[in-house]
Amino acid sequence: MTKGIRRTQVLLAVAALGAAGMFLGPDGWFGIDIGPVASAVLYGVLWLFVIHLARSPGEVFPETWSQAEKQAWVAVVFMALVSFHVANLLLALPELGAEADRLRNSATRPFWINLGMLIFGWIVIGSMVRKQDADAVQLDERDLRIAHRAARYADGTLALLIVWLVVVLVTLPEQSRTWLRPLIVANVLIALLIARTLAESIYTVWRYRRERA
Amino acid sequence: MSEFAVRNRLRELRLLRPELTQAALAAACGVTRQTIIALEAEKYSPSLELAFKLARALERNLEDVFQYTEKK
Repeated sequence: MTKGIRRTQVLLAVAALGAAGMFLGPDGWFGIDIGPVASAVLYGVLWLFVIHLARSPGEVFPETWSQAEKQAWVAVVFMALVSFHVANLLLALPELGAEADRLRNSATRPFWINLGMLIFGWIVIGSMVRKQDADAVQLDERDLRIAHRAARYADGTLALLIVWLVVVLVTLPEQSRTWLRPLIVANVLIALLIARTLAESIYTVWRYRRERA
Repeated sequence: MSEFAVRNRLRELRLLRPELTQAALAAACGVTRQTIIALEAEKYSPSLELAFKLARALERNLEDVFQYTEKK
């Protein structure tokens, strides 16, 4: 394993700690709100990763990975972070009561800021990865076949999640329906779409790994 | 019922021509080097078009490179 890949792994591990800290919430760590520190750690690590990618572009990912596999890994990391944020939002919204009906409330503001930062980071890192080996073939029939299988797998996952949601909504007791507000249901539907994209990315990296083993 | 699989002699035939690296073969066939790695490890079966391109790049007949044989 090269020094560059080890550095990538360390950065990923610290980013995971930052994301976990953000997920714990205001009282999550012995009653202390570590959210701001954790988000600073996460965004600091993303910035360090951009520098790492710019300084040693050929050493960030294993040499045996194709361009499509690198992009799939970037997608897995960012979709996992986005999923964490959506899960956080879904947990916070029911506690807001009537405030959850307002499009702008205390829970959605930090969510949109974080989502914007993550999407910006994804665009920057994704475009930097795309520029690597720009003169070589970027996508071929094997990549397209894997992408097609991943899309089918993701569609199956989405169908299962929708069925699960329907069953939950139908069997929910009357007294537990207080959290069922239009904006919360809207966010649950967005969460399903995010889960589908995450499933697609995870299947893609798994498939590449399997074909290499 | 016996099962069949596509086997290939890609690596063996490529190594007979030292100038033909994995990267050079990939460029000649319009695929990534990782696809050549997967093909040589028999982890991936190519499309008919790619199989013809590979055979042409190796200056061989299709059946010299690929065989459809019973799985061991």
